[in-house]
Amino acid sequence: MEDELDRIVSMQDEITPSSGFVMSVMDAVREEASAPQPIPFPWMRALPVFAALGIVLAMVIVGIVEAARMPAAFAHAWTPSPAIETVVHTLASSNTGWIAFALLLTLLSMVFSIRLAGGKR
Amino acid sequence: MASVSAADDLTDVERVLAGDIPAFEGIVRRWQGPLINMAYRFCNDRGRAEEMAQEAFLRTYRSLASWRKDAAFSTWLFAVAANLYRSELKRMPLQNVALDDIAELTDKRSSHADFEMEDRDRAVRKAVLALPAKYRDAMVLYYFHEMDVPAAAKSLCLPEGTVKARLFRGREILRGKLPQLLEAPRLKEA
Repeated sequence: MEDELDRIVSMQDEITPSSGFVMSVMDAVREEASAPQPIPFPWMRALPVFAALGIVLAMVIVGIVEAARMPAAFAHAWTPSPAIETVVHTLASSNTGWIAFALLLTLLSMVFSIRLAGGKR
Repeated sequence: MASVSAADDLTDVERVLAGDIPAFEGIVRRWQGPLINMAYRFCNDRGRAEEMAQEAFLRTYRSLASWRKDAAFSTWLFAVAANLYRSELKRMPLQNVALDDIAELTDKRSSHADFEMEDRDRAVRKAVLALPAKYRDAMVLYYFHEMDVPAAAKSLCLPEGTVKARLFRGREILRGKLPQLLEAPRLKEA
């Protein structure tokens, strides 16, 4: 059966390209070549922002883990160390949460756009 | 395909990368036939095959710099094209008859004495295109590469073992769906 199948499927007709095919491809290539290059994402400039975002996220995770590990009885009596208190106060006063949220949203929308654009090609 | 010179490909690629865009025409002229025919085997539609091949050449042009010269240009080109054709078919599937419908149709026809061999062959090729994508891709590329498993594996960017397994499974499905069709010549010979 394999031989018969091989024979049938191998025998498929060959088609010859239409006369204008090369010109049509070259027109598309020239158009592509003359189009302005897409602006690359400024990874180097964004790096400090991403680093800051990472630190904030790490702090949030540490805070959540610490709170979860703390026995309920001590929860109300617990007072943060002055260093943590200072950090929390600074973060709260400078709206860091909102900034982190905005950065996260930007990152997500960027990843989504890249995926969409990549899928189209 | 054998007459195509690898040296010509290399020269043209280097010229294009150096900014000589018209040099890409040499690549298009040499490979238009194989790329259109590969697309035609995937879609069985001449117009669509040319559109898909044009897109494959454009993608090749865009990613020319990523061709590592450790593989032949043709190997890389076929892999780029096959990848594009497969995603094109995923995006806009063929308006194919289902495999069961092909089997049903051919069963009815086989009851007539004047069953044409040509019709049978066409039905089998249609059935190959109606297979689930992973078996279809393996079979289309295997026959496009003149039954060369390593070449089909390179175009699919898959290990040879996987391609062999998919070919085996694809044939099993066809054998199950089209038993009368694929055994007809044997009966005639007997």
